Amino acid sequence: MFSSAGFAKTWQYIQLFEQGLICTLSLSALTVLFGFIFALILALMRMSKIKPLSWFATCYVELFRATPMLVQLFIIYYVVFANTSLPNFKLFGFIRFDRFLPGVVALSMNSGAYLSEIIRAGIQSIDHGQTEAARSLGLTSGQTLKEIILPQAIKNILPAIANEFVTIIKESSICYTIGVQEIMYAVSATKGATYRIAEPLLIATAVYFCLTFPTIKIIAYFERRMSRGDRR
Amino acid sequence: MATEDKLIKVSNLCKYYYNGDLKAVDDVSYSIAKGDVTVIIGPSGSGKSTFLRCLNLLEIPTSGEVIFDGTDITKAKKNIDEHRRKMGMVFQHFNLFPHKTVLQNMTLAPMKVRKMSKEQAEAKALQLLKRVGLEDRANAYPIQLSGGQKQRVAIVRALMMEPEVMLFDEPTSALDPEMVGEVLEVIRELAETGMTMVIVTHEMGFAREVAKRVVFMADGKIVEEGTPEQIFGNPQSPRLQDFLRKVL
Repeated sequence: MFSSAGFAKTWQYIQLFEQGLICTLSLSALTVLFGFIFALILALMRMSKIKPLSWFATCYVELFRATPMLVQLFIIYYVVFANTSLPNFKLFGFIRFDRFLPGVVALSMNSGAYLSEIIRAGIQSIDHGQTEAARSLGLTSGQTLKEIILPQAIKNILPAIANEFVTIIKESSICYTIGVQEIMYAVSATKGATYRIAEPLLIATAVYFCLTFPTIKIIAYFERRMSRGDRR
Repeated sequence: MATEDKLIKVSNLCKYYYNGDLKAVDDVSYSIAKGDVTVIIGPSGSGKSTFLRCLNLLEIPTSGEVIFDGTDITKAKKNIDEHRRKMGMVFQHFNLFPHKTVLQNMTLAPMKVRKMSKEQAEAKALQLLKRVGLEDRANAYPIQLSGGQKQRVAIVRALMMEPEVMLFDEPTSALDPEMVGEVLEVIRELAETGMTMVIVTHEMGFAREVAKRVVFMADGKIVEEGTPEQIFGNPQSPRLQDFLRKVL
């Protein structure tokens, strides 16, 4: 299975894993950012009194939750972006933008669907008295959402969001299928060059763990800090 | 009383639920003069809270008019925020913002809505907190306060907007008995400053003492209305007589 010779061989290609790490990190960070903004918009649309908006958001969410991520990724890459010629430059000198961007779009659209349901549940969990108090003070509905509802809702759903963010880091590995040079791509490339599979996979496992575990811990820290108001 | 000193004029106000199966407020007309303290009493489910909440459109009336400062606010949907800021509201369950300190609870709306500077708003907040004996709790979070303290903060939070009228929705109903007094004391002092107030309450002794007018509601309608002496001393309708026998 594992051998020191195998590790020695794999180690020659460690640079691929470094690049994979950078790529996975950028992919996840951008997905988290765009996915969250998108999810917020979807959640607000779904709760909107304007029927077509809420209808659209509901359909979107159900569609994206009921179909495999891989299918969505392929449709985005091979169909949606098929006839668009994306600029052919390389991020950080190695990440191919014409593959990276469809990856970010597909991941964001997918996680946006899941996150929007989490956000919606969070907003609806806030006592209606909070809205009434804010509106009775003359705040607009937008100000009420921003100042009163969202800060409390996001605090409540932070564990669920953290979970989703960790999921994104892991799911971003699927982008290897469209040639985004993330960690699994490094595994595949190393395998091709060394005929070793166990060692590259072990390294990939370690890298993923080092990404997700601290993320969970960091969010737990912020969760504790934000709950100041809840405790005596 | 001349109509021009009426601050709030309600005519034929109705609030129905379930397509009219439940008539929470049923064709109520009533006027409130500037500086009046009006206390609304009645059995639970009589529509008194719903009536109060219709005054600042927390409940959208099914029909009828609420004329505030000469404008029918049921029609002025776009400017409702502007009208609401002239009406302070105090809730049964306080509804303080748990993620903000006492001071932040108080300064948020003046800063966002009235564009007051932070310094100005905080100075005003501290002054009001001093008035209700809570200046040392300015940086506490709501969870750290007792029920009575929370309600006092809720009252001064509403006062920060310098409202023309204060609406109280059962302000002492969620309080432990020993804390009722401190909240009523604040409301009483506020009445003495000439603030226009509409109070829904079950505290009959307080109603009798502080009210200029008392309104008795039952089944969504105003059954009887008058001075505290008339309502408590010489009730006319059997419904009110029965109610008073039970609560006094």
